[in-house]
Amino acid sequence: MRGEGTVIIGMGNPQLSDDGVGIVVARAVGERLKQRMHLTVTELHTGGIRLMEAMAGFNRAVVVDAMVSGAAPGTLHRFDPEDFITTKNTFSSHDTDFATAYELGRMAGVHLPEQFSFWGIEVREFDLFGEKLTDEVAAAVSGAVDHIVAQMVEWEGTA
Amino acid sequence: MTTRITIDPVTRLEGHGRIDIFLNDQGRVENAYFQIPELRGFEQFCVGRMAEEMPVITNRICGVCPEAHHLAATKALDGVFGAEPTSVAKKLRETLYMAFFVTDHTTHFYALGGPDFIVGPDAPPLERNILGVARKVGLEVAGEVIACRKRNHEIISFLGGKSIHPVAGVPGGWSRAITPEERAQIEDTARKNIEFARFSLDIFEKIVLKNPVYREMVTSDTYLHRTYSMGTVDADNRTNFYDGMIRVVDPEGNEFVKYHPAAYGEHIAERVEAWTYLKYPYLKKVGWKGLTDGMESGVYTATPLSRLNVSEGVATPLANAEYQRMYETFGCKKVTADRYQPIHHRLATHWARLIELLYASERMLELAIDPELTSPETRNIPDPARFTGEGVGSVEAPRGTLTHHYVTNERGVLTKVNMIVGTTNNYAPISMSIKRAAEKLITTAAPEEAILNRIEMAFRLYDPCFSCATHFLPGKMPLTVSLRDSRGELLREMRRKG
Repeated sequence: MRGEGTVIIGMGNPQLSDDGVGIVVARAVGERLKQRMHLTVTELHTGGIRLMEAMAGFNRAVVVDAMVSGAAPGTLHRFDPEDFITTKNTFSSHDTDFATAYELGRMAGVHLPEQFSFWGIEVREFDLFGEKLTDEVAAAVSGAVDHIVAQMVEWEGTA
Repeated sequence: MTTRITIDPVTRLEGHGRIDIFLNDQGRVENAYFQIPELRGFEQFCVGRMAEEMPVITNRICGVCPEAHHLAATKALDGVFGAEPTSVAKKLRETLYMAFFVTDHTTHFYALGGPDFIVGPDAPPLERNILGVARKVGLEVAGEVIACRKRNHEIISFLGGKSIHPVAGVPGGWSRAITPEERAQIEDTARKNIEFARFSLDIFEKIVLKNPVYREMVTSDTYLHRTYSMGTVDADNRTNFYDGMIRVVDPEGNEFVKYHPAAYGEHIAERVEAWTYLKYPYLKKVGWKGLTDGMESGVYTATPLSRLNVSEGVATPLANAEYQRMYETFGCKKVTADRYQPIHHRLATHWARLIELLYASERMLELAIDPELTSPETRNIPDPARFTGEGVGSVEAPRGTLTHHYVTNERGVLTKVNMIVGTTNNYAPISMSIKRAAEKLITTAAPEEAILNRIEMAFRLYDPCFSCATHFLPGKMPLTVSLRDSRGELLREMRRKG
């Protein structure tokens, strides 16, 4: 089974302040690139098997999420699939971690992307109900969009 | 003086729950609790909004059970607007809910609960997961699980009007009718679900119950707590996930109380202990005696097992046969014509969950073949004269009774919002099970990995939900146990290897 196109998945909860930043960035990337490539924008609230299922049928996947690592709010981090392969025991609230979900999908014959990029945006307020990003995180959105767009355009060039 | 031990199985990056264990001067476990950091500001977020927004707002509270919140919120709105849903609206809501239950219980069994029994509680963590289950049972099981989720997600998407976060619930009904083709798809899905549920129970029988070691694990008293049991029942006192009265039976199996969900405030109170900010719900009319079980303790449980404990048999035939088999395996005597003495062995919750999987599948088929399901009469438009300004909506979420309570002003603007979510009900029993595991932890020389997993098994059986956002980024130390003496000196530290 061949897949086609690219999916960008914004993860988080748009009602939990900065937690929704991944969704804001994914939508903005979709807006910037809609004339240029076949791109599907998806919002997702939970990881694990759902994340794998959201990638089914695509050749490439970009995932953007909020994260807390101690860096300054607004900092953009990029991760490679290898980061996930080596941390199989990351805990997921209801099913499993992404690496296991990916392998499960493969085992089940689901067409999954070979190319990924994972982006994390450092957040400040993530457990307070609210529909607004904090100032530092809001200010980081356009820079994050630029980086992700550049990376996706680069992929396109190598296709 | 007490000593505090913290187990942090999850970094903030992936869900977030934490275990704290306290030792006393004698080095014994004094208390243990499971802590789910609460989201802040929900009431302030909601107050001042139109009540009709709630089914769409609350279905984003939790990434795991949006369907449960959507239905509880919609039912609360029925009350606020004084609008009784039409008959088909109730059936469409319940159909969506059964599809959700099938996916949720399937995922729990194969990805979370099952690996301990199918791969083994002492297997290395890299094998003790859904992939290990597939390697042991047969690789085709991976495809079966994915196919089950997919076919039921399709039903949820078209019934709910949107994938993942349903939007179709409105006061007095459901915003769309279904076509005959869609009804046929539901029927086909339900039939496949029944086969899949039977297949899953068959795996449980062959791999768990026929293995003396695992059977002993399920039926042992390791996590035995004689608490009260709670669940929603229909007019025949049989379990129903979508609607009914709340029934509570005591540890011996006598009906303690049966009440309308709107009366929850008369029956449930919350207790805050000095050593944690966590609120423990308990039965008000029994009273709080601490984290302890028995007739005199108001601690209750709301899980698949407790739902079967309060039910006069199961309403569908195949699931009822499995129900009888489970209670007879435990040697329970009948307390009524159809109901047995409660099972208090908590690991049996995994078995109960599979029986519920079969029930949800059979119930889905009953609804699918009901000729009324394609009726266009999906809504009673609310009559302003019947507006009440207050509503309580309740459903059985997979992980316990879920209650939403809204109060509005005369224009339908929210002035008060209260919720008891499924996992909250079980805070006390979860803490009690963790304490049991912790007691073994400090008196055993077992390998670290086995101890860590025994503690995880204690809370995993309750299928607790960490709500809100789930983050994908890799965590470095998902489970650390620090054991300290009463002066705070570190005795032993265990950390799961990455």
